[in-house]
Amino acid sequence: MKKACSSPLKCTRRDEYPKMTNNSIGAISGIVAAAMVAAAATAIVMDRSNAEAIVGETRKVDIAPGPDPSIDSLRADYRRPKVIPFPKDNPYTPEKAALGKKLYFDTRLSAAYVLSCASCHNPGYGWGDGLPKGVGHQMKTLGRRSPTIINAAYGLIFMWDGRASSLEEQALGPIQADVEMALPLDQLLVRLKNIPEYAPLFEAAFPKQGIVADTIAKAIATYERTVVSGSAPFDTWIEGSDKAISEEAKRGFVLFNKKAQCSACHSGWNFTNDSFHDIGLPSEDMGRGKFLVGITKAQQAFKTPGLREITRRAPYMHDGSLLALEAVIEHYDRGGVARESRSDQIKSLGLTAQEKSDLVAFMKTLTSDVDPTTVPILPR
Amino acid sequence: MNTFKVMLAIAFLSGTAVALAAERTIKQKGRIFSEAEVAIKKGDTLVFLNDDNIIHNVISTTPGTQFNLGSIPPGNSTPVTFTNTGNISVICAIHPSMKMLVKVTD
Repeated sequence: MKKACSSPLKCTRRDEYPKMTNNSIGAISGIVAAAMVAAAATAIVMDRSNAEAIVGETRKVDIAPGPDPSIDSLRADYRRPKVIPFPKDNPYTPEKAALGKKLYFDTRLSAAYVLSCASCHNPGYGWGDGLPKGVGHQMKTLGRRSPTIINAAYGLIFMWDGRASSLEEQALGPIQADVEMALPLDQLLVRLKNIPEYAPLFEAAFPKQGIVADTIAKAIATYERTVVSGSAPFDTWIEGSDKAISEEAKRGFVLFNKKAQCSACHSGWNFTNDSFHDIGLPSEDMGRGKFLVGITKAQQAFKTPGLREITRRAPYMHDGSLLALEAVIEHYDRGGVARESRSDQIKSLGLTAQEKSDLVAFMKTLTSDVDPTTVPILPR
Repeated sequence: MNTFKVMLAIAFLSGTAVALAAERTIKQKGRIFSEAEVAIKKGDTLVFLNDDNIIHNVISTTPGTQFNLGSIPPGNSTPVTFTNTGNISVICAIHPSMKMLVKVTD
């Protein structure tokens, strides 16, 4: 199997040069011949200034396929975790979370004093904004839908295109972005230092560290990690209560994991493995491809969103183009726009009307009956 | 003919190193690399075996050792020989849970 190198990620392939070596090795001993094969490749690498690693031929390998998982074993994969993970360099404290919550809801973190993190990641809309596309500084429409922050504590990478590697890194991005909250970092620090009631909160959360970018980011990230979806009917079913969800939803669960293959990406208790895919939406947005130039499958690829509290999070997809879960299922059933970057897993599914209905019924079991989020009293 | 002589000389000079060049297999089952960190010598080969149940796209964007294996279906393996020293980050372009560090020394 030969594959083309994708510029600018360069590679050389040992299998591109068989004749050059084979002509020479017939006259010399086996060990020298073996050395010549490698030497020829080395010489070629030396001749090509852009050669960086030698990629050989891809070969078929016999691997034993795993057994088809039973429904019971699948259910075990969806059990809720018992703890929220916090990073070692930013462990949880209640003081940090309390400060982070105030910062999260504070509109003074935007240039025009009108936007807070909660404007686009609003608990009332499943920690999104209910709009097809986000709205930023001076009411300008942004390029993508505002993603939810639900269960961000469990994320591996952040933003639709994966440009933030941690929640701490993510937290400061929208505040400074010209099109979002548009507040430069130096001005943010001045503003917060001029609000007297913030100083003791920072001191309690970060003794002797002051009001700096690092403490602001850590506080917001800590609060965001506490935003975890509540126990839904699906969880009750997973824990063994057979009547917690309908028979239709149970059939949907099986379809989700088998025929429709949703779980290939929407896996685990949070229904995402954070993988990036072009799912064939008719959009020109390059997504992950902006950061992985030359990687075909990264073009127009976006991070797989989790599905918790999904009925509160319409409209759907990274571009907000689908208004209802039924439309989402129709999209996947059709397979979207066929193009080179489209994920190999996206293809026509051949679902029946009943199966589509079952899948929607299943997804509706992922919404919990959460208590409303209280808005904090902000420092003055 | 001159090219042949040069290649022959390189072959003899590099013979010892070639004989000792090592090969290790990196598996990918469960959307993780079987090793998070490996230390190898320049000229050694890592064989990336997709023993998972899903397509992977192993790449490195580390300057000096960039490569892209493309979409590799389950049941396929691809060797990569590392010709430059350094700490090389290898990831799957699709699955961020797959990341490993390859430490290549002389």
